[in-house]
Amino acid sequence: MGPVHSENISLTRRGFVKASIAGSGGLALSLNLAGCATTSKSISPDGAWKADAWLEIKPDNTIVFTLDRVEMGQGTYTGLTTLIAEELDVAPEAINVIFAPAEKAYRNPSYGIQLTGGSSSLSSAWKPLRNAGASARTMLISAAADTLQVSPDTLSTANGEVMHAASNKRLTYGSLARLASQKKPPESPSLKTPNEFKYIGKQTQRLDSLTKVTGQATFGIDAGIDTALAAIVVRPPSIGAELDAHNGEELLSKGLADAIVEISSGLAVVAKSYWHARQVEQKLQVKWRDNSAAPSDALVFNLYEETANTDAGNVVREEGDVTTQWSDAAELLEVEYRLPFLAHATMEPMNCTAHIQENRADIWTSTQGPDVAQVAVAKVTDLEIEDVYVHNQFIGGGFGRRLTQDFVAEAAEISAKVGLPIKLTWSREDDMRNDFYRPASLHKLKGAVDEKGNVLAWKHHIVGPALMDWYVWDVAPAKLSWAPKYMYSMLGSIGLMAQGTPMAPADTSGYEGADDLDYQFRNQQVTYSKADAGIPVSYWRAVGHSYNGYVTESFFDEMAEAAKKDPVAMRLELLSESPRMRKVIETLADKGNWGRVTPNGVFQGFAAHKSFGSFVAQIVELSIRSDQIKIEKVICVVDCGTVVNPDIVTMQMESGIVFGLTAALYGEINFDEGAPRQSNFHDYQILRMNEMPVIETHIISSDEKPTGVGEPGLPPLAPAVANALYKATGKRFRSMPFRLNA
Amino acid sequence: MKLTLNGETLSLDLDPQMPLLWAIRDELNLTGTKFGCGMGLCGACTIHMNGAAIRSCITPLNAAEGQHLTTIEGISDGDELHPVQASWIKHSVPQCGYCQPGQIMSATALLASNPTPSDDDIETAMAGNICRCGTYSRIKRAIKDVADSTDSFQQANASLAYNAKN
Repeated sequence: MGPVHSENISLTRRGFVKASIAGSGGLALSLNLAGCATTSKSISPDGAWKADAWLEIKPDNTIVFTLDRVEMGQGTYTGLTTLIAEELDVAPEAINVIFAPAEKAYRNPSYGIQLTGGSSSLSSAWKPLRNAGASARTMLISAAADTLQVSPDTLSTANGEVMHAASNKRLTYGSLARLASQKKPPESPSLKTPNEFKYIGKQTQRLDSLTKVTGQATFGIDAGIDTALAAIVVRPPSIGAELDAHNGEELLSKGLADAIVEISSGLAVVAKSYWHARQVEQKLQVKWRDNSAAPSDALVFNLYEETANTDAGNVVREEGDVTTQWSDAAELLEVEYRLPFLAHATMEPMNCTAHIQENRADIWTSTQGPDVAQVAVAKVTDLEIEDVYVHNQFIGGGFGRRLTQDFVAEAAEISAKVGLPIKLTWSREDDMRNDFYRPASLHKLKGAVDEKGNVLAWKHHIVGPALMDWYVWDVAPAKLSWAPKYMYSMLGSIGLMAQGTPMAPADTSGYEGADDLDYQFRNQQVTYSKADAGIPVSYWRAVGHSYNGYVTESFFDEMAEAAKKDPVAMRLELLSESPRMRKVIETLADKGNWGRVTPNGVFQGFAAHKSFGSFVAQIVELSIRSDQIKIEKVICVVDCGTVVNPDIVTMQMESGIVFGLTAALYGEINFDEGAPRQSNFHDYQILRMNEMPVIETHIISSDEKPTGVGEPGLPPLAPAVANALYKATGKRFRSMPFRLNA
Repeated sequence: MKLTLNGETLSLDLDPQMPLLWAIRDELNLTGTKFGCGMGLCGACTIHMNGAAIRSCITPLNAAEGQHLTTIEGISDGDELHPVQASWIKHSVPQCGYCQPGQIMSATALLASNPTPSDDDIETAMAGNICRCGTYSRIKRAIKDVADSTDSFQQANASLAYNAKN
């Protein structure tokens, strides 16, 4: 298999990528810039210097940064560019950003595949990108020292130039590119100290704002080639239903469509435009064979209950012995929490333009996993993954939906079958009814408090599906990209079986955010039972934390009440070993006036949760007006370590809060015999401007390494609302969405 | 069929029932106007007809016959951004950015008819535009900022009116 995946970049000539199958760390891939020795070939005939996988400096002083974590709103376009700009010593605005092709060099070191997710982009890029910038800058200085015949120590850099103060001479990076390319990369380039930062921590304007306010930003749905015909897929009405019969031939004979072809997921209609294809759909008569095993909501929760009652679950955390505590309890709580399936509902519906040819495939789309997309295409065509060129675009919302590549596979299958380039566009209804949903889950909680108000025991049993069961089939081949196609399904099976062994990481999605609470409970047990009703599921914003954060922080308030303690005071009591979380909570209690005398009818709720390395706490103030929950204000405190862009951190807190509010107040996908009941924004409501609370965000100043911000703002929101609702109504809200009259 | 789009008179030979959204995106290749729901529920497809905000995904082409349409591509004056766009950048409104052309078209239409909107006016005018990234607070702030600096706004309003008439 040839290693070359893009027009411009050849992996073989750069020796810095070490793929390793580590003995204990899973299938890891480490990027090692220090080992980069073969630089002389990194210059192109036109004199452009490809310093490494990310950075290219051209003679005309153009600096190109290949962004390997996708931009879907969370701010990588600005944040990651800022990292490389800082150490290269150029203004971030002066850098041209392009989206990375699918290539091993761009794999996410956290996962070993090229995906953007898990709020990992900035933390995983923090060292490599700064090293890349610093390494190139060192080589440019070295080239300038040769040119000017001075010592490198006498040179400085700023704004894309090397300067020699004594002679007042300046050389642009562009003019030094060719010579710099001959230099040996430094073993360990010296990085700036925080007090030397010009852009990190200071950059406030986003680099992608202009293109997005002018309508020029190209999303997947806007990309492709002019020759592509439009395609839609007519889909089964319920999960697992199969195509039985249709009148496609008859419509084709009347010349109504360019093609009507059966594909794995339904019946594809190809026509000259999306509108025309939808017109044809209205004339199509399609019969489906129902899947008799397709589940309804009630059956899903019956399965979960049965599992909870018959399976003790895997112990994912244990301290002390909870079972000895129940009889000594002054107060014993035993409750159940339930969460529904949720759609992602990205604003940009799923779409993909595919051009499948004999020797190559070109894919234009918005994907969170370009190399997983390669696998999806290879599976449905005769091509190998290195034949698949992914042209990734701005992403109109990801939230985990675009980790799964079903829409790419569909487009590839259609293009391969009709032998033409096609642009597949899903309707909103397709999107809502054919999602890989945030899983529904069931939680059994049991807690004991003694007569002095000490927590004796905390027991949490979680029941729900495991996401990797669904995702592994494409991920394992993407990770083991050397494997031939006939091994793909075997790799998936191995990937499943090997979970938690040195070969593959454990799938923690079911219990993340439940098994790592910082509260010092003397006796604690967290167990997880897998139960899957066959409804497609996948990652979602803060996925496991989105339910476990809600459940644990709501139940914590129940325990505090049983202990007759203020819930914030009790949190602080139990967090003596967690200084960062303590500080976040103390700061919030202060900034948010916890316990203040609120105006009549306004109630406060508090919650705190750690996820993706960051600590977030929120106070919600709400009222109930004419039987409606009105969220008045959310005060948020976050500690995400070193802050690269304060305004983007604030934005992401706001974004997570609004996403969390939509889920808390409205979010629910229901199934009737496998058919999703919701279809569009009238029955899957999204929070709108007239429902917005005031949001106030405070960032803790920190020198710790940067951690996630895209997801951590979400988990505390729902429990803070639930805890405030308890004060307002005297009722505990143990299922979502929150309904006053349920 | 004739209509005016971003100041240019066009003669189109298309199915009169085709929604404006698809005519604009697929036939005229202006992709700034976005498809979100197809039912007028999310506002991603918002454009102006004679200066008023409409949902192009549910407005058929024949309703636009002889009318003046403006899309996101038509509101700036050459390289000079519309003050609403400039305010969007100043307040770092866009995240994923997909809904923002529609948001901006709703905001510009609001300000053209009501240069000093109250909070309630803004919420009413903008409630039809969904943003999944939750940028609503910043949108409101950006609109108020424009409303507060009426000079630049009036100029832009004049240019919008010009576009709508020409």
